[in-house]
Amino acid sequence: MKRLLSLLLPVALTAALFALPGVAGAKPPTEGECMECHGDKTIEKSLPGGGTLSLFVDEKGYRASVHGKGACTTCHTDAKAPHGKLEKVSCGKCHPDSEKSYAQSTHGKGHAKGEREAAWCSDCHGKHDIRKSGDAASRTFRLNIVGVCLKCHKDRAIEEQYKLPGQQVMEAYENSVHGTALKKSGLLGTAVCSDCHGNHAILPGDQPRSATHRQNIPTMCGKCHPGILEQYEKSVHGKGMRGGIAESPVCTDCHGEHTITKISDPSSPVFSKNIPKTCSGCHEKEGISSRYALPKKRFSTYMDSFHGIALEYGMTKAANCASCHGFHDILPSADPESRVNKANLPKTCGRCHPNAGPNFAKGPMHVEVTPQKAMGVFTVRVFYTVFISMLVMLFVLHVGLEHLGRRRRRREAEGGKG
Amino acid sequence: MTAASGETPKSATIVRMSLMFRVQHVLLMVTLLVLALTGFALMYHENWIGRGLIRLEGGILYRGFLHRAAASLLMAQLLFHAFYMLFTREGKKELGEFLLRRRDFSDFLQAIRYNLGTAAEYPLIGKYGYKEKFQYWGATIGILLISVTGLILWAETFSMRFLPKLVLDVTLIIHGYQGLLAFVILLFWHLYNEHLNASVFPMNDAWLTGRVKAEWLRQEHPLEYEKLKQEGIL
Repeated sequence: MKRLLSLLLPVALTAALFALPGVAGAKPPTEGECMECHGDKTIEKSLPGGGTLSLFVDEKGYRASVHGKGACTTCHTDAKAPHGKLEKVSCGKCHPDSEKSYAQSTHGKGHAKGEREAAWCSDCHGKHDIRKSGDAASRTFRLNIVGVCLKCHKDRAIEEQYKLPGQQVMEAYENSVHGTALKKSGLLGTAVCSDCHGNHAILPGDQPRSATHRQNIPTMCGKCHPGILEQYEKSVHGKGMRGGIAESPVCTDCHGEHTITKISDPSSPVFSKNIPKTCSGCHEKEGISSRYALPKKRFSTYMDSFHGIALEYGMTKAANCASCHGFHDILPSADPESRVNKANLPKTCGRCHPNAGPNFAKGPMHVEVTPQKAMGVFTVRVFYTVFISMLVMLFVLHVGLEHLGRRRRRREAEGGKG
Repeated sequence: MTAASGETPKSATIVRMSLMFRVQHVLLMVTLLVLALTGFALMYHENWIGRGLIRLEGGILYRGFLHRAAASLLMAQLLFHAFYMLFTREGKKELGEFLLRRRDFSDFLQAIRYNLGTAAEYPLIGKYGYKEKFQYWGATIGILLISVTGLILWAETFSMRFLPKLVLDVTLIIHGYQGLLAFVILLFWHLYNEHLNASVFPMNDAWLTGRVKAEWLRQEHPLEYEKLKQEGIL
C-alpha cells in the first residue's frame, strides 16, 4: 500500500502543478519550490530496465556542501517547476581547468566514447554533498580516496571489460608500506592513488604524459621523497635516466610499484637478502653489460665470496651490493666520489672492518679466477687441481702394482713350499 | 705364507700402537672428519653438497662454530703431538722410526720393481715403511699448512691490517684445496693401506686394540719382526 502510494504521489503532484498554470511560470524555481518535491524521501522514478532511482535530495547535506550557498538552478540550469528529465549537469562551466584535464584523461576519453563505467565528476566527488578535499567527510579526502578508486578498480567485471590490472595489484597496495600507513596508521602523509597517478589527468603508465610513465617516476616519487631524489639525480642511474636511457633504473625498478614494502620486509626486492638478485636482474644481462661496458660476472663472484655465502644462508648483516656500492647514490668506480673508488675503498670496507686499511684494499674485490684478473688464486687453483689429480692417478697405479706384487709373493710362497 | 716360526705361535700378538697413540689417532680422526664436513659445506656452498651439509650443521653460523672448535682441538693436538714426539721416551723412539732415510726411497723403487717383476726380492720393511712415512709426514705438513692459513682467515680483523685482500684470497684457496688434498689422501691412500689391502682387510684393528699379529708383522714388517725377536719380546 505504501509502495503504491509512493508511486502515485509524484504523479499526482505533477498533475496538480500542471493544472495550475502560472504558479511556477518562466521564472527559475526557488530552493523551497524544488524541495517541495525533492525533499520527499519517497520520491523516485522507475527506470526502463526495471528498478527505481531515488529523486530525493538531502537538503541538510546540500547546505553543508561546498556548493550549499548556491541555488539548484546554478547547476540544473534547465530546471522548471515542475519538470521532466533534465540535462546532464556541466561542472566545466565553473571548473574549466578540471574539465579540460579530465577530457584528456583515460576516464574522460572513455566517457566521451560513451563507456558507462568510465568515472565522471560525480563518481569521485559525489553529487549534492560535494565537500572540499580537505574536509574529512569528503569523498576526495586523502584517507577516503583509495576507497573511491577501488569502488570500480576492485570490481572484477570492470577489470575484465577494460583489461585493467587485476585485483592482486590493488590488494598489493593495501598491504604495501603506503597502504598500511594509510589504513593502519591513518597517516595523511602517505601516498594514495592520486598522489602517483594524478587526479583529473589520469593516464595509463605507457603514455609519455602519464605521471606514472618511466621518465616521470623519479620526479613523482620525489614529491614526497625529495632528499632521495636529490641523491638519485646525482647517481649513475639518475644521470642515465635523465639522459634519456630508458634502461636506466627508476625508483620502481628496484622498489616495486603497488607492492612497495619496508626494506626490513623479507618480501621487499631491496631487503638485504634480495638485493643481489634485484641488482643482477639488470647487471647479469649480457645486453646491458655489453652496451654500457660494465664489468661482468659481478653476481657469481659475489655469491662465491664470504659475503655472498653468508647472505645466501641467512646472515642478513653480511655486506650486499648496496653495502659497498651505495644505493640511491651509486656512482661508477672511476668517479672520485664513488664509494668503490680505489681511494675510498679503505673507508668503505672500514665501515664493517675497522682494520681494513689502504693495504687491504689492494687487488680486486670481485675475484674472477682468470690469469689476467687474479693470477695468484688462479695459479694456486691450477697447481692443486693438477697435483691432486696426479696423486689420485698415482695412487690408483700404486694399488694396481701392489696387487701384481702380492700375487707374485703368494705364488713364490706356494712355490717355495711345494 | 703358512710357514710359521717354531718359537712364535701363529696367534701371538704384539703391541704396535700404545694407548697414548690410539687416543691421539681417534681424536685426529674425529676432528678431521668434522673439519672436512664443515669445510666442504663452505667450499661447495652453491650445490646440494654444501646445502645439505650446512642444514646438517644447523646453519651457516653453527657451521663456523663447529669448524673453529674442531680446528682448535686439532691444533692443540698438533702441539701436544710435537711435544710428545720430541720430549718423551716413547715419542723420541717413535720419531726415530719415522725419520725419512735414503733407504725409504730405494725401498719404494724396489717395491715397484718387484711388483713389476724386475726385482728378485720385495724390500725388507722396518716398523714404518715408505707407505706409513708418506702418510705421517704428509699429514703433518698438511695440518701445519692448513692450520697457518686457517688462523690467518680466522683472525680476519687482525690479518686485514697487514695483508692485502689479494693475499687473503690466495690463503683461502690454499686452505680449501689443502683440505681437499688431505681428504683425497685419506680416501685413497689410508683407506687402501689400512682397510682394503688384502693383508689387513677389512681393517687393521691396531687403532682399536693396539695389537697386531706377529705373523702379519713378519710378512709386512720383517725387519721389525727380527728386531723384536732379537730383543726377546717375541
